[in-house]
Amino acid sequence: MDQNNSLPPYAPGLASPQGAMTPGIPIFSPMMPYGTGLTPQPVQSTNSLSLLEEQQRQQQQQQAAQQATAQQATQGTSGQTPQLFHSQTLTTAPLPGTTPLYPSPMTPMTPITPATPASESSGIVPQLQNIVSTVNLGCKLDLKTIALRARNAEYNPKRFAAVIMRIREPRTTALIFSSGKMVCTGAKSEEQSRLAARKYARVVQKLGFPAKFLDFKIQNMVGSCDVKFPIRLEGLVLTHQQFSSYEPELFPGLIYRMIKPRIVLLIFVSGKVVLTG
Amino acid sequence: MAYQLYRNTTLGNSLQESLDELIQSQQITPQLALQVLLQFDKAINSALAQRVRNRVNFRGSLNTYRFCDNVWTFVLNDVEFREVTELVKVDKVKIVACDGKSKYGLTVI
Repeated sequence: MDQNNSLPPYAPGLASPQGAMTPGIPIFSPMMPYGTGLTPQPVQSTNSLSLLEEQQRQQQQQQAAQQATAQQATQGTSGQTPQLFHSQTLTTAPLPGTTPLYPSPMTPMTPITPATPASESSGIVPQLQNIVSTVNLGCKLDLKTIALRARNAEYNPKRFAAVIMRIREPRTTALIFSSGKMVCTGAKSEEQSRLAARKYARVVQKLGFPAKFLDFKIQNMVGSCDVKFPIRLEGLVLTHQQFSSYEPELFPGLIYRMIKPRIVLLIFVSGKVVLTG
Repeated sequence: MAYQLYRNTTLGNSLQESLDELIQSQQITPQLALQVLLQFDKAINSALAQRVRNRVNFRGSLNTYRFCDNVWTFVLNDVEFREVTELVKVDKVKIVACDGKSKYGLTVI
């Protein structure tokens, strides 16, 4: 069991025959069933990205702690506890209303499991890079006044009919329209996006407008991660034709449009993945 | 009509003060003073565009910026103005910049 823990993260299934999700079948085989393999892990965790990042981190910490205790426990049972815990995390990770893509069928397939599943799910978590949100300030705005009086504002009505304002903390950019609607981009977390939008609303309010904070909604979230192994895009587009579009001459990445959850992934040969949606 | 940007400079302010004194002592009419200022605008704009050749580099950290009515206003902190001959350091500098290349003559106050 220890040998699995010492494996490099990108090849957990290869070493021990019972360690693979589907015993005996290598990871890159196109015959691999849908609900197995490494890539599910980062994708699955995007389900819980919104608002549950901390829960995920706690899970990782618990898994790491579990792994540590598992190593100290007897060899025979050490495989069991991480696996059980892993199936527990499968059910607790998703938000209410979103169903996990890869539910516990994994458990019956690998009855005696080493610590690899736990290390896989704690291996890579996508990092949020950008959040786009909108909010309605609920009143008409005079953009010229805002541009003249606020700091760090640009207003070029000939080019774009909105004031572009920026703040340093959280480092974000806002587009403020005369209707009172505002778009806030650049934040690295949902809470930061909300905080930044509130700061912009406060700036507008201080300029004398009766600004409110109506219908704050996160429109898009972008995350990136690295699976740490090269990906054969051609193989992926063969097996998942209905979801993938890959035109190497046009763009070096494969565009995978996942249906459930509705996410678009840009998958690159290097193993870097960008998730958005 | 050239930019009235340069009226609020040491040179422009001195001119305006002198003109105000002359108006006070009834030696010129306000209309004439206005014409003088307009001529000053034309002269300073063409002089800076045609007769000034030296180059100054400056570097600092940006505190605030603003772009409205095609006018950029920057406030920089801890700026170093560097010319071949000498170096000047300032804590705060405000830069007001109008479009140099545009065809239409704007009067900007």
